[in-house]
Amino acid sequence: MFLCFALITLIGAVALTLQRNLVVAGLCLVLSFMGVAGLFLLLANPVAAALQIIVYSGAIVVLVLFVVMLLNQHQEEAPVRSRPLQRWISVLVLLALAAGAFRLVTRSPLLHSLDHAPLPPPMTLNALGNVLFNDHLLAFEVIGLMLLAAMVGAVALVKRDL
Amino acid sequence: MSTSCSILSGGLPGYILVAFLLFIVGLGTVLVRRSILVQFMGVELMLNAANVALLAFARFRGGDAQGTVFYLFIIAVAACEAAVGLALVVGLYRHRNSTDTDRADALKL
Repeated sequence: MFLCFALITLIGAVALTLQRNLVVAGLCLVLSFMGVAGLFLLLANPVAAALQIIVYSGAIVVLVLFVVMLLNQHQEEAPVRSRPLQRWISVLVLLALAAGAFRLVTRSPLLHSLDHAPLPPPMTLNALGNVLFNDHLLAFEVIGLMLLAAMVGAVALVKRDL
Repeated sequence: MSTSCSILSGGLPGYILVAFLLFIVGLGTVLVRRSILVQFMGVELMLNAANVALLAFARFRGGDAQGTVFYLFIIAVAACEAAVGLALVVGLYRHRNSTDTDRADALKL
């Protein structure tokens, strides 16, 4: 099950990188986010999985696809000049990074010691609400204010003559 | 042998490895692709990689609600970033009539 969701996540991400059509790339992004939501479910965190689906695969991807269709640029433009050497160097560097990450994770004693700890019960919305409104009430209000500021800022940036 | 088993069957190292690989793919998307919208999607992938690592550690180190609260704040900030970032993309397109980052080089020496 874990392997299934991990593969969905990574295949969606790689397909996004290789995809030429921007709308299809956005749909690959949805696939990847759904895989991440599945990983959150396996981490016994259904609240985070629901938030992931609602906010990321719902709101943010819809916003991105809306802008793609608004700008009417469904294909990436032809490059100003092609850079084959840089392209291959970047692929090699990314592969080296991936190999380094694999090596780091498989040889880390800390991760493996944490792996054998007893697992807590699943996260519930009740526990989340208690902590959110008892310990982090001020941060919650500030986040609300920040969302409002971002909304006003986005409207001000897009509007041609304010 | 036990390490590969733990990675494939969903132990903590497996989640951390998935987070690492997702971050690397997102970084590659930002660095290799030229369309600013695809680069934006790559930034979202990197944010998600951080979320996977955060919630995996929150689960395997006691599992209290603080990690999920932090995740809630992260996605609120990501929503703000998406709104403002896409407004900037629309502004760039109006200014240059292109979403190619190679063509937006007015500040280049």
